[in-house]
Amino acid sequence: MPQRKEAYPRPVPNPGWGPLSTLPGNPLMWVLILSEMVVFAAFFGLFAWLRIGEREVFDASRQLLDPVAGGINTLVLLTSGLFAALAVQAISAGRIRRCRQWLAGAFALGVAFCVVKVMEYADKLGAGLVPETNTFFTFYYLLTGFHFAHVLFGLGLIALVAWRISHDNVETAAAFWHMVDLIWILLYPVIYLLR
Amino acid sequence: MPTLLATLPHATRRLLFTWAVLMGLTLVTMLSAQLGGDARLQALPLWSAGLLLLSTAFKAHQVLMTYLGLRDASSAWRGAFIGLVLLTLVLVASGYLLARLGS
Repeated sequence: MPQRKEAYPRPVPNPGWGPLSTLPGNPLMWVLILSEMVVFAAFFGLFAWLRIGEREVFDASRQLLDPVAGGINTLVLLTSGLFAALAVQAISAGRIRRCRQWLAGAFALGVAFCVVKVMEYADKLGAGLVPETNTFFTFYYLLTGFHFAHVLFGLGLIALVAWRISHDNVETAAAFWHMVDLIWILLYPVIYLLR
Repeated sequence: MPTLLATLPHATRRLLFTWAVLMGLTLVTMLSAQLGGDARLQALPLWSAGLLLLSTAFKAHQVLMTYLGLRDASSAWRGAFIGLVLLTLVLVASGYLLARLGS
């Protein structure tokens, strides 16, 4: 008797990892992703809480940011994330050269993100807006700086896996890169737009 | 004649579709935040702030499910990650609303 497709259990990506076994890619990367998300969630919550008491300061400070540059960086990072995902598909199909090309694209867009961010930092620091200026700018530098550090680490990871290429390596680096994407998706409206 | 898109594998088409949705929603977010002119100096209308947060939640959901591949994970993990994103946005939205009520 023919069975429905859903009746077959799907193979577990990471057998032997207990509760982590159903997660795709390296399970330890998921532990890192979850912990990073919790840390950023706490910072976002604290940012929103402090804004209640200092709304005028926060809104006046936010007007000194460039939301269009932040938006462009969102588009750049999302496209870089697409390239990383396409690199995983390429390596899964055994197309190593194509995988390296997608990784190179993801890396180049990551560098573009950094260039925009450095220009933004230079502009703000040149205008005398430093972390000690007020609570808003303390959080601005803390959150975007922490995220920026993750972007730099992710770029190093992408370069490393393009050199030591394997399916597991590419999948793990891509998962980290998507986490960087995800954090920026949450960070951009909270810091730049919500007023 | 099949289009170029139709010749791509299903998984690739899904990635491209998700990317297009994410790009579109980012542009909608930027537009709804009214970045130009004097409107930039005013508080956002509530509908605009709501749209901004909803689109952020949907974008985060798409990145988790499609880019990170959580679609294939167990429902408990999907719930945990989506729950964390929603909790983050609820905290942000609560702070935002309380600040508005207080002024």
